[in-house]
Amino acid sequence: MSLLTIPRETLVWLMVAQVLVILPHLAHLPLWIVALWLGCGLWRVRIYRMQASYPPGWLKGLAMLVVGAGVYLSHDGLVGLDAGVTLLIAAFILKLVEMRSRRDAVVVIFLGFFAVATSYLFEDGLLAGLFSLLPILALLAAMIGLQQSRLFGRPWPAVRLAGGLLLQAVPLMLVLFVFFPRVGPLWSLPQAQTRGTTGLAEEMAPGDIAELSQSGELAFRASFSGELPPRAALYWRALTFEQFDGRRWARGPSSHVMRAPAWTPQGAPLDYSVVMQPSGQPWLFALDVPELPGGEAQLMGDFHLQRSRPVEAALMYRVRSWPAAVRQPRLPQSVARAGLQLPAQGNPRSRAWAAELKATHPTPQAVVEALLRHFNQAPYVYTLKPPPVGEDIVDGFLFDTRRGFCIHYAGAMTFVLRAAGIPSRVVVGYQGGELNEAGNYVSVRQLDAHAWVEYWLAGRGWVRVDPTFQVAPERIEQGLVEAVPEERALFDDSAIALLRYRDIGWLNDLRLKWEGINYGWQRWVLGYQGDEQLALIQRWFGSVDYRALGAGVVGALAIGMAVLALVLFKPWRNVRDRQREGYARFEQALARHGVRRQPGEGPRAFGERAAQRLPERAEAILAFVRQYEAQRYAGQTADSVALDRALRRVCRQLRWRAARSRGE
Amino acid sequence: MSRFSRHRDRWLDKRIPRAKSVVLSQRSIFILPTRMGVAFLIVLGLILLAAINYQNSLAYAMCFLLGSVYAVAILHTWRNLAGLRLQSGRTHPIFAGEQAHPWVRLESRSRAHQAVALGWQRAAMTLDDVPARGACEIELALQSERRGWLRPERLRVESRFPLGLFVAWSWVDLDIAVLVYPRPLEGEAPTVQGGEGDEEGARVVGVGADDYRGLVAWQRGDSLQRLHWKAYSRGRGLLVKDFAALAGSDLLLSFDALGGDPEARLSLLCHLVLAASDAQQRFTLQLPGRTLGPGEGAEHQERCLQALALHGAPAERAAA
Repeated sequence: MSLLTIPRETLVWLMVAQVLVILPHLAHLPLWIVALWLGCGLWRVRIYRMQASYPPGWLKGLAMLVVGAGVYLSHDGLVGLDAGVTLLIAAFILKLVEMRSRRDAVVVIFLGFFAVATSYLFEDGLLAGLFSLLPILALLAAMIGLQQSRLFGRPWPAVRLAGGLLLQAVPLMLVLFVFFPRVGPLWSLPQAQTRGTTGLAEEMAPGDIAELSQSGELAFRASFSGELPPRAALYWRALTFEQFDGRRWARGPSSHVMRAPAWTPQGAPLDYSVVMQPSGQPWLFALDVPELPGGEAQLMGDFHLQRSRPVEAALMYRVRSWPAAVRQPRLPQSVARAGLQLPAQGNPRSRAWAAELKATHPTPQAVVEALLRHFNQAPYVYTLKPPPVGEDIVDGFLFDTRRGFCIHYAGAMTFVLRAAGIPSRVVVGYQGGELNEAGNYVSVRQLDAHAWVEYWLAGRGWVRVDPTFQVAPERIEQGLVEAVPEERALFDDSAIALLRYRDIGWLNDLRLKWEGINYGWQRWVLGYQGDEQLALIQRWFGSVDYRALGAGVVGALAIGMAVLALVLFKPWRNVRDRQREGYARFEQALARHGVRRQPGEGPRAFGERAAQRLPERAEAILAFVRQYEAQRYAGQTADSVALDRALRRVCRQLRWRAARSRGE
Repeated sequence: MSRFSRHRDRWLDKRIPRAKSVVLSQRSIFILPTRMGVAFLIVLGLILLAAINYQNSLAYAMCFLLGSVYAVAILHTWRNLAGLRLQSGRTHPIFAGEQAHPWVRLESRSRAHQAVALGWQRAAMTLDDVPARGACEIELALQSERRGWLRPERLRVESRFPLGLFVAWSWVDLDIAVLVYPRPLEGEAPTVQGGEGDEEGARVVGVGADDYRGLVAWQRGDSLQRLHWKAYSRGRGLLVKDFAALAGSDLLLSFDALGGDPEARLSLLCHLVLAASDAQQRFTLQLPGRTLGPGEGAEHQERCLQALALHGAPAERAAA
């Protein structure tokens, strides 16, 4: 390009694009980047107004060093996704100041595109995706500005054209998005740090789960292909806690066994798919007993699902669950030992009570039922704010305070069962969820976090039992918020907003609709990876034949381009150039009589020469040429009729001459 | 000229024949990615890698969106040239060593054509916009070196609009031909070449005060150089010095009478023709095998200069 300066509208659009590119990144950029950005933006404007000069070389070097040091300090190093993105944004900001030539502008634009792509790694919601169209539009407009011939154009035509280009690109993009083969990661890359994710953890003290339960943040959604099971049956297992040290419950050995124990499917299975929010933990959520056809995770020794990598981005998986399955009918020694483990001492009252229960009840099942009856009849209170208990937390809870949360009930029951010689463990996960009837799916939030108990009976295997149900059945049947109506003040903002919406009918409908849209986005766009793609293609085409598929995609792209070309070129609107056609016929007619136009000979010169050679026809020839010239060059309106008439006269006379010369 | 470019030119001559007016169509437009277009693909590749490694659907979508924009840009860039009519105009003759300024008219038959560049060298292209159903004229510069017909090579017309990712171009031969007269070289006009038996004229050159005949009233068309300013200042009105135009004593400018290198002789003759015309002298130009005149006036001068320009050249363009 001969012009090296950057046109004004390019500069305008680049500055706009910079704002739009950086905005979504602000959440994870260090604050000093904003200061750098403002300073550089002001400088650039001053350069444009000729009030400042370009930064000198030493200052650029210094700025790079300072940025490097800043990134190092803010992110504890220069490696990692966050540090990389900060460096990218800093380069994007600094390059804009020192940009002089069009080539520099191209570099800035490309950096901008890449920065937009990296923003998806942090935030990939529907709104973020739609918003990112704006910086892309501005960057394209800047690219168009670079190509324009005038340095001072108006900025709007460029952005209109950019919008047109984007719209025309959408159909091709959809074809590519659906059919482009998805492969797994080629190599592992640093992941975005999952910021402030709340959720279940490896080990929990009673207070942790109560705190978790105060958040309205989404944990996962599950959509069922058949009818939605009743709420009370939705026990989403995440982990089991087998080890108790007197204060905390933690994962035991069988939750690290990489092999599923024996289990027999029974009853009707449930088919559903789960879209999980990033949790930063490697386990997945499912109803008992899950099978994953996609093989995303391993069913572990305690029937929980574990993946090799933590879930750092939204994850979608399909599950088939057998709720009535018989699990581990024969208990290996090691598992039995773990299921009976108790600290050597502590909680003497509970141990004594367990011994008494064991003595008075003939079977383990009877002990369990007695315990449940106790929870149901004794004055227990379900609360998120349990009062502090002493050193022996089980004794304190069972016999003194009798106020607690699900983990208290589950922990206490497991303790007593174990003391009575019944293998048992605490299961944590989520219970229930918000049913969205319209979409046939369940949204499960952090406040649905729950803990329950499973115990082992010879012949029946592991059996689930929920002591909380005995104390506060509304927790299971309706939800936590209904279970503790007077403790609303404890919930965090997201949970409170949720509660407020619930009270206003139409607003709640709106919220549910929005949730549905988001869920669709997650399922169909974000979750559209390998298996989903295969499933979709199989549904559409029956089978997946890669060769046919590839040919089909190429064909679809070609047809798309052809349709677009037709729309763009509108060949049916092509005006025929009647004047030129007429002139060509005129030349042909004269050529038949030996008068050929010389290269470079204009119409008038040619006409005059022809008139000399054919003096009898001179008048007709010159009349045509005059008409042609007048229409063609003198800006007279095209009048094809008059031109045709003149041409016909020439041809007629030439024919007559030909006939006469033959007659001679 | 290399063999390749000869082949290319022959191919182009068939594909886009020479014409005063050319409408760019699919036969004549070529399109390829620019360096920027290749760099853009590399950026898309990086975004695709990020999408694959992070399993990020939005990054995939963005990569595909920009890839589709890339494909759409092919059509837009191509369309920006398609249907454009280029037409060359008549260019005035120049003297060797001067710059000719042929102009080309770009005319749109339907849509606007933005940022169309025109030129002989890629480094020096002239950029302009053609409005919808309108036209613009671009003046080009062409350096002449030798006398004769100056016929530039094919003209490159290109466009990178809208995104600069592709360049669509065509090589058109708009039949631009500039007549280049010899460079006028001032020099001593040799007086009679005595002793050679050359009896054709009394003098080779004879513009001098000797022929001064008197003052006559100025008429439109008389050269201002011959105005008698002194008489004017004395209030005698506009008078011109009348030089002898005696029958038989016309100026004879003869190629054969001059010595030296033929090109130098032509240059000198060019100068003499101009001088004689300026002096409104009747003169005859004698070239080997051709005699022009005697005559005077602009038309005669033009014919003489043209003969000088084309002396020795094949007579292909005499008609033009």
